[in-house]
Amino acid sequence: MIKHHPTEQLLIQFSQGALPATLSIAVAAHLELCECCRIKVQNLEQSNAEALFTDFEDDMAQDEFANLFEQITANDDIDMPKGNAPQTLNYQNKTIELPRAIANSQLSSFVQLGKLARARLQVDDGELRASLLQIAAGGEIPHHTHTGFELTLLLDGEFSDESGAYVPGDFIWLDGRHHHSPATESGCLCFTVVNSALHFNKGLSKLLNPIGNLIY
Amino acid sequence: MVDHALRCDSRAVAGNKTNMEQAPTQALTDALCKVAQHRDKRAFAQLFEYFAPKIKRFGVKQFGNEALAMELVQETLTSVWRKAHLYHPDRGAATTWVYTVMRNASFDALRKMKSNKEEHISEDIWPLLQEEQMADPDFQDHLQSKQIQDYISKLPLAQQEVVKGVYFQEMSQEQLAEHLSIPVGTVKSRLRLALQKLRAEIGDSND
Ligand SMILES: [Zn+2]
Repeated sequence: MIKHHPTEQLLIQFSQGALPATLSIAVAAHLELCECCRIKVQNLEQSNAEALFTDFEDDMAQDEFANLFEQITANDDIDMPKGNAPQTLNYQNKTIELPRAIANSQLSSFVQLGKLARARLQVDDGELRASLLQIAAGGEIPHHTHTGFELTLLLDGEFSDESGAYVPGDFIWLDGRHHHSPATESGCLCFTVVNSALHFNKGLSKLLNPIGNLIY
Repeated sequence: MVDHALRCDSRAVAGNKTNMEQAPTQALTDALCKVAQHRDKRAFAQLFEYFAPKIKRFGVKQFGNEALAMELVQETLTSVWRKAHLYHPDRGAATTWVYTVMRNASFDALRKMKSNKEEHISEDIWPLLQEEQMADPDFQDHLQSKQIQDYISKLPLAQQEVVKGVYFQEMSQEQLAEHLSIPVGTVKSRLRLALQKLRAEIGDSND
């Protein structure tokens, strides 16, 4: 069962379109796996709509919109929605289906480093970077802290860290106050969003820098 | 207005509908359905009149700029007119649907301001297609066939309506006739004409 969900605050911002794109994709992907948060967001959208659209004060004169009405209705075409081709990913000898919100984004190909492999999401989002991250069976990410935040959405498989074990759908938000060393026994696939390189704080840190850059 | 509890309890945020000023919710929902089914301009005028000033007010707050606010009004209401067929009344009020259309347009506009790129990723994040439609493999098949969609969108509206009713919403010709308030014979002839055109466009290879 999913135990880690986006905070109420994140869901509110998501429902208002106020989150950066990569985080919005992460929340949307979680919603595809978590009915409970999906219902929350539907309810939030409903209250947002009620708050905005039941306010009758100073509705402006309609004349300024007159041309617009003609312009819009002059054309009778309709728009078909984007088709959502279910997109599968082959990793670690299995085929899994990616959440739609992730599958619809452009992905670079996987870059491999030891037991880690990363494919970057091609979404321009300032300092935020989103990736699909694979960790092969028996792999781990050495003990590190974050100067910014690190969001991990487990999509497939399992991993655990000092705080416990995670299942697909878990939405794990860590910031500078946390440090951890996630490890997986049987391998996993995650979606990650981070806003700075990871900082390794146990010995041999120079050797680990490539990993920090790979994950960012 | 919303509960900040961390545990996942859907009821915690389940709408605060009690003392809301009475919005003409039902009337708006009916109007949106009429636009969806009949391209009814008078119904659209009703939606337009209700939402345009409210969207503009939101846009001014969001962008701090009158011209951008007007663009948001235009983007949103154009989508309402052109995408009304994606709305399903059993999935929520028209106000909520229009809100999500506006939220998406605003999200894309804000990204455009920041990155100067014209892209519409909001639809990837918040699909306007409802879940049942997404889950319906037949509907997916049709949607995946982008080419066929393009051909259908070029048909005269009356024919599009019939093709979509029969193939996407899987109504019987009789149900559709009742739904559109036209004789069954008309449904049949429109469908025949539409399929002839589609075959001519697509070629016989898909037959
Ligand atoms: Zn959740």
